[in-house]
Amino acid sequence: MKRVWKWGDAAVVGAVLLAALFVFLLFLPKEEAAYAAVYLDGTLIDTLPLNEDVQITYTGNYHSTVTVRNGKVAVTASDCPGEDCVHSGWVNTPARSIVCLPNRLEIRIAADTSDVDFVVR
Amino acid sequence: MKRIAVFLLAAVLCFGGCRTAPAKGQKQYTATFLNLFDTVTTVVGTAESEEAFQEKAQTVHDALLVYHRLFDIYHTYDGIANLKTVNDQAGKAPVTVDGTIMEFLTDCKAYYTQTGGKTNVMMGRVLRLWHEARTAGADDPQNARLPAADALKAAADHIAIDALEIDPAASTVYIRDPSASLDVGAVAKGWATERVAREAPDGMLISVGGNVCATGPKAVGTPWVIGISDPADSNRNCHTLYVNDGAVVTSGDYQRTYTVNGVPYHHIIDPKTQYPATLWHSVTVVAADSALADALSTALFLLPLEEGKALADACDVDVLWIGDEEHMTAGFRAKLRT
Repeated sequence: MKRVWKWGDAAVVGAVLLAALFVFLLFLPKEEAAYAAVYLDGTLIDTLPLNEDVQITYTGNYHSTVTVRNGKVAVTASDCPGEDCVHSGWVNTPARSIVCLPNRLEIRIAADTSDVDFVVR
Repeated sequence: MKRIAVFLLAAVLCFGGCRTAPAKGQKQYTATFLNLFDTVTTVVGTAESEEAFQEKAQTVHDALLVYHRLFDIYHTYDGIANLKTVNDQAGKAPVTVDGTIMEFLTDCKAYYTQTGGKTNVMMGRVLRLWHEARTAGADDPQNARLPAADALKAAADHIAIDALEIDPAASTVYIRDPSASLDVGAVAKGWATERVAREAPDGMLISVGGNVCATGPKAVGTPWVIGISDPADSNRNCHTLYVNDGAVVTSGDYQRTYTVNGVPYHHIIDPKTQYPATLWHSVTVVAADSALADALSTALFLLPLEEGKALADACDVDVLWIGDEEHMTAGFRAKLRT
């Protein structure tokens, strides 16, 4: 059998390859910069990109020191009773948030960096 | 040539089809409320806009708030006879209460029977001693103390479930023993979550202090993925589960703790010993009914493995026990993602 390439064939191959490339790019995971959203009493008061190391103290009823380091966020010091927020440790997924009930402070990761919807603890 | 084209086209379609995501135009949102049941309430769901989701989440919050007020043992609210009212009237007079409280306390008595007395809402007197010691210890960690042993012993004489009298005909509740009181912390969150979930829109995930309840999968054919926190390392999940609907509840020895002389004490108190139970680090219950799951997670946390297995079997729920060793029912294993 003789193989004869025609312009039409090339066009089909080209079009299909282009379509493949388009679909591939469409579903490529977006390099969205994850950030921690800080809420005090339900109001968004700050957003901290997880790729910038920083330490900030937020004051409500108590003082919560929030640290971003190596792409994770934690409450590293607090004068609230119980210090449950400090015990929550370092967090970098939306499925785990850090909450300080006494200080009414909440830290939530805002980019989708996990396939787990929620963590029970 | 055609064949190559067909192959490539198939490849394209395959690439496009292998990703599961919420339906087109739908995004996943989360709302948090800090004013309910002295814990964190989280609502997760998909919607076409943040506003549309907030509206749904607010409905869930408002429904939970009604139960929060009815079951509150620390505060009184204008025009409501709640459980604090019932406690305040212990040994004095029966209190006329809302039908919801009647149903709730009737269920609580049933849980007591089902769990052989392990889940006991009449432990108020004992739990108050622990609550006071924990609160004082959290405020002043240097001087944290355990409740006095003789006070605990004395309090244990006033935890009989029979002292709670429910009169359906009169719609009244009466605590016969003036020294006894209700503390519904082990069951109220799960019971309220169950009631609210039944009325909530499909495809939502509602968590009230770790009492997680799903009202259907998050999208058609896409279950919720629920992580179970590792008791040894709160930054890790020890297992992940697929859940379409029903409840997941964990009781853990790392919840609501305080430290006395370097030893951590948690809040799940065995009615037999009046001290925190030490058999397990965490017990997770998966069940169709959130109220039952909550009541059982407390009882199973207090029971050794064999008795726990029998209880889980009798109640038709699935369980994960994490202690020095890990155990799970066959049904629990079937729900694991990996």
